[in-house]
Amino acid sequence: MKKMRPWKMMLAVTMILSLLSACGSKGNENANAPSTPKEEPTNSATNTATAPDPLGKYPETVTVTEVLAFNPPEDPRTPSGITPEQNAYLKDLKEMMNIEVKYKWTVPSAQYEQKFSLAMASGDLPDVIEVDQKNYEKLKKQGMLADLTEAYAQYASPALKAYMESDGGFAMKTFSEDGKQLGIPAFEDPFLSTQILWVRQDWLNNLGLQAPKTIDELEKVAQAFTHNDPDQNGKNDTYGIALQKNLFFWGFDVRGFFNGFGAYPSVGDNQSAWIKGDDGKLIPGLIQPEVKTALGKLQSWYKDGIIDKEFALKDENKAVEDLVAGKVGISYGEWWYPNWPLNSSVDKDPKAEWIALQLPGIDGPAKSLVPKIRSNKIFVVNKKAKNPEAAIKMLNFYIEVGSKKYKDKNKAADGYVYNWFNPRIANPADIETIYTEVNKALDANQTEITVEDANYKNVYDSFKATTEYLAGDTSNATKGINWGSYFSRVAKDGGWGLTRQIKENQQFVYNEFYGLPTATIVEKGGQLDKLMQESFTKIVMGSSVDDFDKFVDSWKALGGNKIIDEVNEWYSTEATK
Amino acid sequence: MKSLKKEFPLHIMLIPGVIVTLIYAYGPMAGLVMAFQQFEPLSGFFKSDFVGLDNFRYVFNLPDFKQVLWNTLLIAVIKMVLSLLVPLILALLLNEITKKWFSGFVQSAIFLPFFLSWTVLGGVIIELFSLNGPINGLISSIGLEPIMFMLDNSWFRGIVIGSDVWKGMGYNMIIMLAAITGINGTLYEAAEVDGAGKWKQMLNITLPGIAPIIILLSVLGLGGILNAGFEQILIMYNPTVYAGADIIDTFVYRLGMFSQQFGPAAAVGLFKSIISLFMVSTTYYAAYKFNNYRIF
Repeated sequence: MKKMRPWKMMLAVTMILSLLSACGSKGNENANAPSTPKEEPTNSATNTATAPDPLGKYPETVTVTEVLAFNPPEDPRTPSGITPEQNAYLKDLKEMMNIEVKYKWTVPSAQYEQKFSLAMASGDLPDVIEVDQKNYEKLKKQGMLADLTEAYAQYASPALKAYMESDGGFAMKTFSEDGKQLGIPAFEDPFLSTQILWVRQDWLNNLGLQAPKTIDELEKVAQAFTHNDPDQNGKNDTYGIALQKNLFFWGFDVRGFFNGFGAYPSVGDNQSAWIKGDDGKLIPGLIQPEVKTALGKLQSWYKDGIIDKEFALKDENKAVEDLVAGKVGISYGEWWYPNWPLNSSVDKDPKAEWIALQLPGIDGPAKSLVPKIRSNKIFVVNKKAKNPEAAIKMLNFYIEVGSKKYKDKNKAADGYVYNWFNPRIANPADIETIYTEVNKALDANQTEITVEDANYKNVYDSFKATTEYLAGDTSNATKGINWGSYFSRVAKDGGWGLTRQIKENQQFVYNEFYGLPTATIVEKGGQLDKLMQESFTKIVMGSSVDDFDKFVDSWKALGGNKIIDEVNEWYSTEATK
Repeated sequence: MKSLKKEFPLHIMLIPGVIVTLIYAYGPMAGLVMAFQQFEPLSGFFKSDFVGLDNFRYVFNLPDFKQVLWNTLLIAVIKMVLSLLVPLILALLLNEITKKWFSGFVQSAIFLPFFLSWTVLGGVIIELFSLNGPINGLISSIGLEPIMFMLDNSWFRGIVIGSDVWKGMGYNMIIMLAAITGINGTLYEAAEVDGAGKWKQMLNITLPGIAPIIILLSVLGLGGILNAGFEQILIMYNPTVYAGADIIDTFVYRLGMFSQQFGPAAAVGLFKSIISLFMVSTTYYAAYKFNNYRIF
């Protein structure tokens, strides 16, 4: 065979080499990553000797691996170009506790789920992990989770323990198995999900109407908002009630509307709700007869133009646009609306004035559906981790640095990015604490708040916004932003103020099912969801209300009956009643 | 042997391409094993339980599967036929235009939407056809009732097909124009001498001349017989038009998103690939048998 020309040979060789080296470097990275935790094999031995101290410093550096999904820093004063590794909290953690955080990888939040699935599939998990309920269950099933019972008992700071016991230990119990604490839940007050009604008071004034207490009154108000030019601009450019295409979502939906009829189809995010029937068994709210009545009413409202004719095409952003633009004057939702998007509405139209109302019902104010537990974030520790108690100490650390001592230190401008720090648990009663503390300070005419513990920062921020709003001071933030902070968290007739009254007066119904999706929900859920979306949307848009009966029959036949059995099986064996 | 010697360096240069194909096209095929497993990501391929054809049975027995399959086939076939026919007509017409700048401009204008993503275009189309959009503006200006195009099953499928053909027609048109340019000009001169007009020239020279390309495009198109345009429909549809526009891909997507069912999703993927392979092989064979035409 003729000898190859040298240049050709070189070309071929370079090409092959470049391929090989590309593969090679990738292989090296993978080989290096898992070895990081093994570098400190002696630490656990030395550390167990020292007495447990929630905020104590390890004598030798302990390395904890993590992965991170990050959003951009929320505070505009954060130095630009900062990376999660440069987060000043990590530096302080090293100083205070001698714990060093190493990120195996960090990705923007949008890519996290995919990346984490891959990490799970390859078994390459970090020491401390933030999981949702579904992944918690998966890791538990695979026996990947460390038992935190002892670490928690010995190391949890009093503040952390107080948070965890604030619900009577219910959430902690949900994430333990056979007496082993497998995860620390970052749970929140379930009443944050309470549905209320937001209405434009200035429009009511313009039309000489009263705030609605019943569905019939609400109908009259909504009709007037649609046809009688409530903004008095001489144009027929308004409609009654905001709605987007997901009937049961996290906002601008009709969960609260159905609650008004005593129907409890969903707790939001397309999850169906389960309420206790007369015989003590759980029934799915989705097929209650009351749902039919509510759908019928919604249909007539659609026909009348109270709801946007093309709501089935609109996502939540479109619905928000209409609210901000002053095209719509009523929305069902939760306590936080003034914080967003109603603050923009107030900034855009200085006359805009929003009030919060308890849900209108058939003969007076109605009860809202509330979940039994609200926890989307659970912190777990890899079974292979050398220092499981480090996770508990890091939780202590984050709570500690929220107190007044650190108020001048933890500034965004100095590179402190709180939402990049994990594990991080906030006070489950955060909003309630803000409400009581700020009101206490206001009632006593104080110029400073008296809290000094871990809640300091949040209470301080709301207090500042409230006093500025009440004084009409817009030097630090717009009127809308200050009002939003005040009216969502502090005002007695505002979002949280009203929610508290609803809670105190027992004006709520529990969603009794808080377990994981049952086998049939996993298998048939997608289909049943399609069936529901299609049937309900079509009924609202004008097909016969009797189609609801057909929906119930199909729902039961397509697996619904089996789901009812499974959920009741769970209820009788596992539920904490 | 002599030719091998001469071509040997060329074969070497093929190696990177072959390696890439092996890694990215053949390697992932191992993942098809998921279609036969109760796949659990943490257990991986090796520890997940084998369930035989259960995943296929599960998908085919879903009550909506027939309707979804029918939607898929209907939308895909009409899209396929139109996206050959429309570019063909456009190419033949453009070929007759003698003004260079004009045909260049028209070509670019027709080709442009091909480069826009459905994420952008989907939003534009929803706005165009919305109740307050320009199309309904025209309709009401001539005194007719406005139509809710995107919420009406009888309109929606047409809009999906129409917009897809419009978006993609530039691509096939360019290929066909290139093929027309490749036809030997002397044929036309000879035809003119024989007294054939433009119409006859098109029927007897242009069409037969580009027949191989048309066959190639249709054979390749048939491979996508179960691809009715996932991205487009996902962006444009809504629950009210599920009955007419829910296709296999969107259906499986919702199934997967709702419950992370990797097994059934892989089963549908494999099913689609097998149908595609079958369609491509038979049309290829038919083209060879009846027309003595080979692509490869």
